[in-house]
Amino acid sequence: MMSTLLKLQQVETYIEEFHILQGISFEARKGEVTVLLGRNGAGKTTTLRTIMGLNKASKGQIFFGNEEIQTLQPYEIANKGMGYVPEDQGIFGELTVEENIKVAMKKDDSQSLERLEWILQIFPDLKKFWQKQSGLLSGGQKQMLSIARAYVKNCELLLIDEPSKGLAPIVVEKVMESIQEMKDKTTIILVEQNFMMASRIGDYFYIVDEGRTVYDGKMQELIGNKELREKHLGIA
Amino acid sequence: MRVSYENKLGSIIFLMVSCLLIVFPLVYEDRNLLIIFTQIFIFAIFAMSYDILLGFTGIISFGHAMFFGIGAYSMSIFMKRFEPEMLYVFLALIVGVFLSAIVSYVVGLLTLRLKTHYYAMLTLALANLFYVGAEKWRSLTEGADGFTFRIPDFLRERVNFYLITLVLMVLVYFALKLFIQSPFGKVLVAIKENEQRTESLGFNILYYKIIASIIAGILASIAGALYAISLRFVNTSVFSIDITLDALLMTIIGGVGTIIGAVIGSGVIEFSHYWLTSLVKLHWIFERWIIFFGILYILTVMFFPKGIVGALTALKRKARHEKKHDQSDKMTG
Amino acid sequence: MELFFSLLINGLATGMLIFLLAVGLTLIFGLMSVLNFAHGGLFAWGAYGGVWIYSLTESYMIGVAGAIITGVILGFITEKLIIKPVYGDHVQQILITLGYMLVLGELIKVVFGPNQIAVSPPELLRGSIEIGELLIIKYRAFIIITGIFIFLIVNYILKNTKIGLIVRAGVIDKEMIQALGVNINKVFLYVFMTGAALAALSGMLLAPYAGVIHADMGMEYAILAFVVVVIGGMGNVTGSLLAAALVGISGAFMAYYVPELSLATNMLLMVIVLVFRPKGLFTIRG
Repeated sequence: MMSTLLKLQQVETYIEEFHILQGISFEARKGEVTVLLGRNGAGKTTTLRTIMGLNKASKGQIFFGNEEIQTLQPYEIANKGMGYVPEDQGIFGELTVEENIKVAMKKDDSQSLERLEWILQIFPDLKKFWQKQSGLLSGGQKQMLSIARAYVKNCELLLIDEPSKGLAPIVVEKVMESIQEMKDKTTIILVEQNFMMASRIGDYFYIVDEGRTVYDGKMQELIGNKELREKHLGIA
Repeated sequence: MRVSYENKLGSIIFLMVSCLLIVFPLVYEDRNLLIIFTQIFIFAIFAMSYDILLGFTGIISFGHAMFFGIGAYSMSIFMKRFEPEMLYVFLALIVGVFLSAIVSYVVGLLTLRLKTHYYAMLTLALANLFYVGAEKWRSLTEGADGFTFRIPDFLRERVNFYLITLVLMVLVYFALKLFIQSPFGKVLVAIKENEQRTESLGFNILYYKIIASIIAGILASIAGALYAISLRFVNTSVFSIDITLDALLMTIIGGVGTIIGAVIGSGVIEFSHYWLTSLVKLHWIFERWIIFFGILYILTVMFFPKGIVGALTALKRKARHEKKHDQSDKMTG
Repeated sequence: MELFFSLLINGLATGMLIFLLAVGLTLIFGLMSVLNFAHGGLFAWGAYGGVWIYSLTESYMIGVAGAIITGVILGFITEKLIIKPVYGDHVQQILITLGYMLVLGELIKVVFGPNQIAVSPPELLRGSIEIGELLIIKYRAFIIITGIFIFLIVNYILKNTKIGLIVRAGVIDKEMIQALGVNINKVFLYVFMTGAALAALSGMLLAPYAGVIHADMGMEYAILAFVVVVIGGMGNVTGSLLAAALVGISGAFMAYYVPELSLATNMLLMVIVLVFRPKGLFTIRG
């Protein structure tokens, strides 16, 4: 069994007066892709935002490595080695591709540059449009930029929120392939509605429903179990 | 339940104090005090009108002096140009109210769609426009020097004017209480609490906001007219940011969203003004008395967003809570 | 022609003063959605602090430096004491900064006395220079040059340094920039202090231009700066420069030809922009 990198214990989060997360518990193991599944509005995005510190957990603990992080500021969490790719990609549209990447890189040390070089191999489009205003990129390219940006700063754990959303199937394919390639380099938590995609790259899954983690298991199990899928995800 | 109880308690105390204040000039003759009380009543009306915006609809206007000034100038110009008779006082009031209604309607239509920041900024700028306008239109306003005028004999009698402003304040208080508890008022409160949700329930936010600002504008104009009468003088300062700041200090320190808070705030500020400036003999810093309130205001916004009234109710609730606990302790013990 | 240039230079000088105020406002708003209603107070404090040091040392340049230092210190105190405790709550922020404006104005009266103070330009910048037919008042030219100089510096920092890049990114999406490991609060403190310093500089530059300073001098210029920030687009420094020039120049011409309407036109411009192009006149972003 591989070691646990991130662990949530009975995490609860309010947004204004709404009790969005009512008890999320899960673990993400090093080197794996952990997928959060669940219906729209189940609390998957809020889970990622709470891990990142963008929403504050009102109860429960979040461990990153051996450290409790639920009271830290987002930038502190990020600097501990967490990368975040939000649902809307969070691209700085008026900046160039280069600037989007540079703003995330702490310094131009050899390690970061190495990572940059590697990620640009996976996303050659970014290299091609290096000086282009990022707001003018296509949806898929923006998604790649967002992933690359999160990765280049020393990132042990990557949180990716619905990378397939709003993209054409062929582009989704490409993005998923590159996430697959990144598996060797970093640990990933993926929120995904597109079960086909999630099942292909996921190792382990958790089902989130009404702000709670209600079921978990190996991805293989879910793929083989139609009943389970229908019950929790409403898909066959 | 408890809220309405406290609400009622506030109104009852208010009514009792007001009754005492009616007999006050009969038993105690002090010209200075009479003038201070008159000022308190006038500014209470002004502050209550502001509370409709800030406290109940969640609109932050930095241009409320606009309407105060319109009322003040309408009254002053009528008194100066025509005869100082009651008929013209009424006419001037009507004209002031009418102008304020139009201005608040037009301004509201243009600006109430905007986000909080922009709205605050724009109203500040528009009020400044009126201020500069009054300074430039010297033939009518005589600018910063201003002008004095005569008022009807009936109003010259301090006691009469005192009683008129007192009755008006009481009327405005209860009218606004009724207004806030009406279905219309409830929508305003809903807008303050969550604008988007109220809109999604099918209410036309802009319409409600405009009506609220027209009502606030009309009342502010009446307060301005009374203020001009009380001074028998007007100058451009009635349009200045200081007037808006007065309304802000009074409602915030007194307690936003309570109506009674505006009255208390007016009393506290006007009394302190009188008291602190009388201390100037001791130390010159008291001439800058407003600085204490500026600081108090900032602290209130930071730590007691509900002001004096809010702090009092919290205290009382706590006391009642403890009492209940004592009783239940006794019962179990 | 002579009149035209004279009005143009006059307007540009005023425009630069407004621009210096607007830089801080626009960046502070862009980065933190804080609309600082006390910015005019920092402006007035800069003028008083600078003039006080100017009169002590009899050196105008030391006075200017004094104004900037006043701004930096006051900016630091303001951010820590007034802005920071109410981060994230727009209603509180708006209410608090206006109250703070009142306190700043009153404090000036407490420290420096309630009366106006007369100020004249230093020897070197008095009088005017002749270029052909044109007579240019030296001090106005000085203001314009200073304004453009500051714009170039600010622009350079924004475009070519890491902190500038962070500020530009933060203006676009302040949540994302934090998720990338940037302590936005620290960046904001620097930006706030810089903005305060520039506001103070603006006040100091205005002092000899206007001839007198008084405690309430900030409000009028702050309102013009609001107009400029709105027209230029929140967070847009170049837009602010253009808008400031526009407002300054149109103000100068209107004040000469139709003085009754000079303020009204600026205000009208702001209303129109706010109602029809709330992101400013010069933004490309949709």
